[in-house]
Amino acid sequence: MNRVLTLASFNVSQIVAERAGLFLSWALFALQFGIFGSLMSHLVQSSKVQDYFFFYGVGLMVITVFDTGSFVGRRFVERAHEGELPYYLSLPISRRGFLESQAIYGVVATLLRAGPPLIGVLAFTGRLNLLGAFFALISLTTLGLGISGIMISFSFIAFKSIDIYNAIIAGLSALLVRFSTVFYPLSFIPSFYSPIAVFSPLTYGSDLTRWVLGFDPNLLLNPILAAVVVTAIALGTLSLSAGIVDKIIEGVKAA
Amino acid sequence: METLSLSKRYGKTDALRELNFTVDEGEIMVILGPNGSGKTTLLMTLCTILKPTSGTAKVMGIDVVKDGTKVREVMGIAFQEARGFWRHKPSSILKFHASMFDIDPVKRQNLIEQTMKELELWESRDKLFMHLSGGQAKRLETAKVLVQRPKLAIFDEPTSQVDLRGKRKIWDKIRELRDQGSTVIVATNEVREAEYLADRVTILHKGTLVVRDSIPKLKDAIAGGDVVEVGFEDPVADKLVEDLKNLGGILTMSPEGNQLRANVSKAEDWVPRMTSASYNTGAKISTIKITEPSLDDVFLHFTGKSLEENP
Repeated sequence: MNRVLTLASFNVSQIVAERAGLFLSWALFALQFGIFGSLMSHLVQSSKVQDYFFFYGVGLMVITVFDTGSFVGRRFVERAHEGELPYYLSLPISRRGFLESQAIYGVVATLLRAGPPLIGVLAFTGRLNLLGAFFALISLTTLGLGISGIMISFSFIAFKSIDIYNAIIAGLSALLVRFSTVFYPLSFIPSFYSPIAVFSPLTYGSDLTRWVLGFDPNLLLNPILAAVVVTAIALGTLSLSAGIVDKIIEGVKAA
Repeated sequence: METLSLSKRYGKTDALRELNFTVDEGEIMVILGPNGSGKTTLLMTLCTILKPTSGTAKVMGIDVVKDGTKVREVMGIAFQEARGFWRHKPSSILKFHASMFDIDPVKRQNLIEQTMKELELWESRDKLFMHLSGGQAKRLETAKVLVQRPKLAIFDEPTSQVDLRGKRKIWDKIRELRDQGSTVIVATNEVREAEYLADRVTILHKGTLVVRDSIPKLKDAIAGGDVVEVGFEDPVADKLVEDLKNLGGILTMSPEGNQLRANVSKAEDWVPRMTSASYNTGAKISTIKITEPSLDDVFLHFTGKSLEENP
């Protein structure tokens, strides 16, 4: 097997080895969707949003993807601090190949964490169709890659101070989630912060996923624009990450 | 392997300063130095994990700066801190490592099993890495390189945290690796490890190469290198002390006057003359003990500091 795939599959096997965490994340998703989704859909009464329960379910999946992307990026930083990164950097694989393996790992991690919830939501709301699920997964995975790329791009801060990195990532995460269309359409967002929401990658990821799943396009951003932005963020941040891995990051500072 | 004016700077600290040295094919080169002398930085740079601030190094003619991936294909490193994966078993870690280095899948399993047995890891094969002891994790680190059998094998303090029995096994396996054709670099601050393994020793101090040679030549380079301890049955007469001083060397007499310590260049020349002088004055010798200087003495001689002292 190709070394990039060997490394990626080894990383994925770590997720499988920690399968209790995987099952727990699915269970939490089901709990959140079942209880809060149901409650929220009863509270939200709008003629514009016909099925808020489903709208909420997709938003929850985007949050799951965001968390997974953040996890992949944070894992990268942890690997450096716990000493795994120097080992990876000593393997006979180019730095670009190393990052490709991390991207594959990110894709598989996203599929493992978000795939079953997606199928569950679609089945529960009676909207399960293979084509929709397939394109929704592509949309979510591309978004996940972008989020991982953003987190890895910030990792150089962690090499100076892990505390500053954690603070920045926590602040950034809060802003990206709150100022987005994850749980409410852009047209419902108050005008004083809707201009900010268009800067969140989650806005584009949410709206694109909802579009491929058949939501009313009038409530969503232009799907072509959303697809272009999500893809550009993924490619841009991964290229930036590649540059950081190649030029800046060193495995360890040794005496 | 050769370094060419290799330097590495962290902020205002020079970890390596203009290092120029070579390691010959098929030898074990021990890099000896105290903590903070730059050993690990040197090894990390050789295996392309760290980038040099200036200068470069070549492994089998391949530049570590320009062609890192190719360098990594011919070398393997056992890190000072065991690099494991908490929820993996030792055998799966070794299997992954072997597959990354294209070890023949047919031979892989046997090689892993054999290496684990030789390093007494076989009994722990079903434990997760996080349940291994410090010594076991360290032996697993060594096992990676042994399974890989690289052309350039690097060991960073391979036996720290390992018990004496384990140390011997690891040392023997490192020698075996050399005998099978690998070039080996071992960084250590343990004198005994260096003495056991080294074909040649490079002494590193504050990021600078102090001296590099075989152990016998390094020891011979110390003037008054041999230490002779002589015990007399009774306190010796002043005349004998004067006679012995005329034989050369640095003499230290115990307060009781019956124990003599002499630092001499060649004990084999000095001892017969000392016994003759003692016989002539009627002094009766009870014990004679001749010792070579240790590598710690060599380090002290060349740097003015003991290996145990902080840099």
